[in-house]
Amino acid sequence: MNPRKRVVNLHNVFYMISLARKQRPSILWFSLFLVIIALLLSVTQLVMVPAILIAVENGVSIGELVKVILMFTSILMVLNAASAYLTSCSQLGRIELRLKLAGMLQNKALTMSYPDVENPDVRKKKDKAVMLVNSNQCATEVIWTTLTNLLKSMAEFAVCLFLLSTLHSGIILVVVTATVISFSVSNYLNGWGYRHRDEESEYSRRMNYLSEKSRDYTLAKDVCIFGLGSWIEEVFDSTLRLYRRFMARGECICLWGNIIDVILIFLRNGILYFFLIGSVLRGEMPCAQFVLCFNAVNVFTNGIGNIMSCFSALRRQSLDISAIREFLYYPETFQMEGGEVLVPDPGAKYKIQLENVSFRYPGAGQDTLSHLNLTIEPGEKLAVVGLNGAGKTTLIKLICGFLGPTEGRVLLNNTDIRTYNRRDYYRLFSAVFQDYSVLDVSIAENIAQTDENINIELMNRCVEQAGLTEKINSLNNGVQTHLGMVFEDSVRLSGGELQRLMLARALYKNAPIFVLDEPTSALDPIAESEIYHKYNELTAGHMAVYISHRLASTRFCDRIILMADGGIAEEGTHEQLMAQNGRYAELFELQSRYYREGGEGYAGNNTPDPARV
Amino acid sequence: MRETIRLTLRGYKIWWRENPQMLIAPALCSIVETVSPYVSVWLLAQLINEIAGQKDRQRMIALTFALLVSAALLTLLGAALDRWKNVQWADMWHVQNRIINRKLLSMDFAGVEHSRTQELRSQVWQNTDSGGLGLYKLLNCFDAAVRSATAIAGGIALTISLFVLPVKSRELFFLNSPIFVLPIAGAMAAVTLLVPVFSGKAGAYWGKFAEENKFGNRLFGFWLGSLGEDTAKALDVRVYRQDILCKRHLQKYNPFIPTAKLPKAARGPMGGYRALSGAVAQVFTGAAYLYVCLKALGGAFRVGSIVQYVSVLTAVFGGLSLLLSTFEDLKNNQPFLRIVFEFLDIPNQMKQSGLKLENRQIQPLEIEFCHASFKYPGQDNYALRDVSIKLRAGRRLAVVGMNGSGKTTFIKLLCRLYDPTEGAILLNGTDIREIDYHEYLSLFAVVFQDFKLLSFALGQNVASATNYNSEKAEHCLFDSGFGEQLDRLPKRLSTPLYKDFEEDGVDVSGGEAQKIAIARALYKDASFIILDEPTAALDPIAEHEIYARMDRMMGEKTAVFISHRLSSCRFCQDIAVFHEGRLVQRGAHDKLVAEKTGVYSELWAAQAKHYISNEA
Repeated sequence: MNPRKRVVNLHNVFYMISLARKQRPSILWFSLFLVIIALLLSVTQLVMVPAILIAVENGVSIGELVKVILMFTSILMVLNAASAYLTSCSQLGRIELRLKLAGMLQNKALTMSYPDVENPDVRKKKDKAVMLVNSNQCATEVIWTTLTNLLKSMAEFAVCLFLLSTLHSGIILVVVTATVISFSVSNYLNGWGYRHRDEESEYSRRMNYLSEKSRDYTLAKDVCIFGLGSWIEEVFDSTLRLYRRFMARGECICLWGNIIDVILIFLRNGILYFFLIGSVLRGEMPCAQFVLCFNAVNVFTNGIGNIMSCFSALRRQSLDISAIREFLYYPETFQMEGGEVLVPDPGAKYKIQLENVSFRYPGAGQDTLSHLNLTIEPGEKLAVVGLNGAGKTTLIKLICGFLGPTEGRVLLNNTDIRTYNRRDYYRLFSAVFQDYSVLDVSIAENIAQTDENINIELMNRCVEQAGLTEKINSLNNGVQTHLGMVFEDSVRLSGGELQRLMLARALYKNAPIFVLDEPTSALDPIAESEIYHKYNELTAGHMAVYISHRLASTRFCDRIILMADGGIAEEGTHEQLMAQNGRYAELFELQSRYYREGGEGYAGNNTPDPARV
Repeated sequence: MRETIRLTLRGYKIWWRENPQMLIAPALCSIVETVSPYVSVWLLAQLINEIAGQKDRQRMIALTFALLVSAALLTLLGAALDRWKNVQWADMWHVQNRIINRKLLSMDFAGVEHSRTQELRSQVWQNTDSGGLGLYKLLNCFDAAVRSATAIAGGIALTISLFVLPVKSRELFFLNSPIFVLPIAGAMAAVTLLVPVFSGKAGAYWGKFAEENKFGNRLFGFWLGSLGEDTAKALDVRVYRQDILCKRHLQKYNPFIPTAKLPKAARGPMGGYRALSGAVAQVFTGAAYLYVCLKALGGAFRVGSIVQYVSVLTAVFGGLSLLLSTFEDLKNNQPFLRIVFEFLDIPNQMKQSGLKLENRQIQPLEIEFCHASFKYPGQDNYALRDVSIKLRAGRRLAVVGMNGSGKTTFIKLLCRLYDPTEGAILLNGTDIREIDYHEYLSLFAVVFQDFKLLSFALGQNVASATNYNSEKAEHCLFDSGFGEQLDRLPKRLSTPLYKDFEEDGVDVSGGEAQKIAIARALYKDASFIILDEPTAALDPIAEHEIYARMDRMMGEKTAVFISHRLSSCRFCQDIAVFHEGRLVQRGAHDKLVAEKTGVYSELWAAQAKHYISNEA
């Protein structure tokens, strides 16, 4: 499917039409009626003037004249009213369909296989597709206007061709040729901006980014203290200068198109006008017919131009729609639709095994994890510790099925997880990740992640366990209070409160496997200590994986694994690892030194250089 | 009315100051584009008259030539002016953003964080983004006003003869009487006024649903926008199947589905008014034809002039409607302009000028809080209550406390992002409100918990400016522990951060970003360095390295650390403990731990027990 080969790739146009037929067929009907009315309007206007002129020239009676004028006026009134009414009706349906498409794109973005989310190529495709549904000027909405205009212009062209059939066919050929040439030239030149749109969007993106940053009140502190304002303004102004220079260059080039256009129109109209005048002088053409032909010629030449510009617009729009489809139907890496069905059963025992698993990020020179073996038994509390960059997060992503191993297998109860439907597999996990997605909905909906059949009792218990009850009771609307920007009555929670909310959400989901990645980083020591104490109670009966770089936080787990050099460096209980006196013991020593009574504390001079783990 | 004029003129002044060509270019372009069809219509009418009359060969050819040449020249001139206007208007959006940005960036922090500011800022943005209202609207209105004024003036000049030339036919003699002309003109004027009334009524429905529309914009902004933008959220989105709630919310609240209020109105009264306004407009054309043709029938002028008069009258009608709707637009735009100006006029609360700090090199700087209390604007509770504390020059102070104990507020007062509600803060005995604001700010370098780096070159981020001292920037990066990473970057300081704009940008981890932010603070050469949770994103080894380096990094500077990891306190000679907005304890670690009933020992025990005792 090479879109450049054909003038218009009709596949994409048909795609939009069939989408409209399924989602909102009225769009098609309204467009069709608008075409018919527009055609009737232009024909009426075309014949009205000569008809009236003939009446006056022939000196008809006053009554007759009034009758003619009234007739035309009432036809125009009806047609205009109908056109205005239909436009009003059709507008919102078109917006709705564009937003529907935007919803489809978002759905794809939110559900597609995780490795593609991180793939810069797919990301680019996504960004491009999203740009194409975000305003009224986008192909996805304007295409209906283009199609309507195209049909109308083609019909007008046919009518004028009929009216002008009395003219010399050579003249018509000249008119058509001149119009086609002038259109093609100026269309090519006007396309300069389109061909260089990447450069333009580069500047725009930079300026929009800076405007966004200026609006961002979380940046305001840095702006005040470090005087970022003048830096931001300087970059903005220099980008604006480049942008202006770019636009001026484009407009200068387009002006050549105007010049050529004017010359060709001058020649074309010259030939036409003198031909018409010639007919008049030879007495072949009465005044009224001259007016009719004169106007028809204008409509005719405009018609050719319109048809051509509709086609060129349609071609661009079709490319845009194909860009949207390219993202929308990007093939999935995992089985998102098919695969074996998996229904999480809270009573069942789940075991996870990593069998000789290696993972390498695309384009990376070496494995992040290599030949790793790990079995997590049903109900086991596992802690994963290690330095930044040791592969903790990668390990978690493999366990949760966000990444697929480059080598080896991940097994759930001895079955390769690739057999299952991946969306079902995700249902096995209650997680608190380091970055969380808080929705602009009520607190209740954020905890339950649904807006129907919320189990209030369970929710209150989870809120209590996460230590959020007091905060929620202090809010006027309790759990019905909204978060975020969408609703006017929204409140803002602090970092610690959000983290507790995320914990409540994980507890509410009550999935068989808990995954907690630094879940207390925003809490104060007392709150953190509370969570540690409750940890076993909170995760009772579930498998739980706890990730942290604070070693103390992992002592309540059944087993600790220390990640280093792309694998498991040490494993065992806290006591076992301390007894081994290896890297874990060394790290623990380093952290606990600060807390030991009478310990050395911080001392700049005689600190031993900590060994790299 | 007077208010509208005042605000509108002020708006134009703002644009004029930004770039006068943004007004000159469209004015000239509109004049030429409006006049050019009048010229053609007049010449065409002469030609038709000639055809219908004498059929003078010479004159006909001359007129045809004039028609062709004038059209070509005027089109060319119009096109050139139009290109000029395009260039000037292309950056309208960005220039208006620049006006808003400039204000935001120059505001003091209390102003930016004030809820009214944020409300105004988001309203200004929403009004421009969703309806092109506010300052933005003025430019389009200006263009329309010039266009309509030209159309009316030119049209009147070309139609005076229509009303003056007398009818010769006896039967139609009444047409010559002004008593008859007046009602005709009156009827036409009435229609001219009626059309905008109807279309205004239709347009008012948009206004009626303004709240729904704004809600819709926010709704789509979140569910169709931000939810999918941040890839860091992608894990959460999948595990909790947030796509389902997304779909449901879009369906539930969508203001565009046919059963919603807006589409119902579009099919009902709104569409009706649009139809009415479309139909009524044709009444004018009918009346114009009637009057002109009757006069022609009566022999007042020839048929060619019918074409001229009718098309010119229609153009005048168009001009009048445009003028009226432009006035209407300007009137409707007034409340939005008022929001823009309320925003632009927010005063800076901090005194911008005052004492200069001349001898800060010589004298050690000491800051003292004297019974300082603070309430956030619009709130009843004190965030900080009666705090008295002295910061000794060259010392390290640790500030600890639970979430919400007032630690961050203390820092905000210290570096004068806010002024205390009660009490005072003294710098070497002078109330800091008496000191030049910018000069006072220059004393501080702060790494906030939620610091931000921008997607530009690393060196620029360290120096917070386009031009920087490379040697110094590298030095600071090495000091903050980023040296090893810096050596791995082939473009070194010119390496762009993040991949927003450059393919070869680097994505830095949370820990690396924190090191860059510390380097930025060091680069500033401030007397006071404040670090808010400086090691939150770091692993134990990196944390240790930072602490080990801390003393050397800080040199002679006074440093303040905020942390809820108490381990970071051990190397500070001085610890301040905050609880519920008050300073409750102060002293060295050993002394504070010994106070068994204090908050500090409670906090300490909560953390230390995991490392020391054997209970788990």
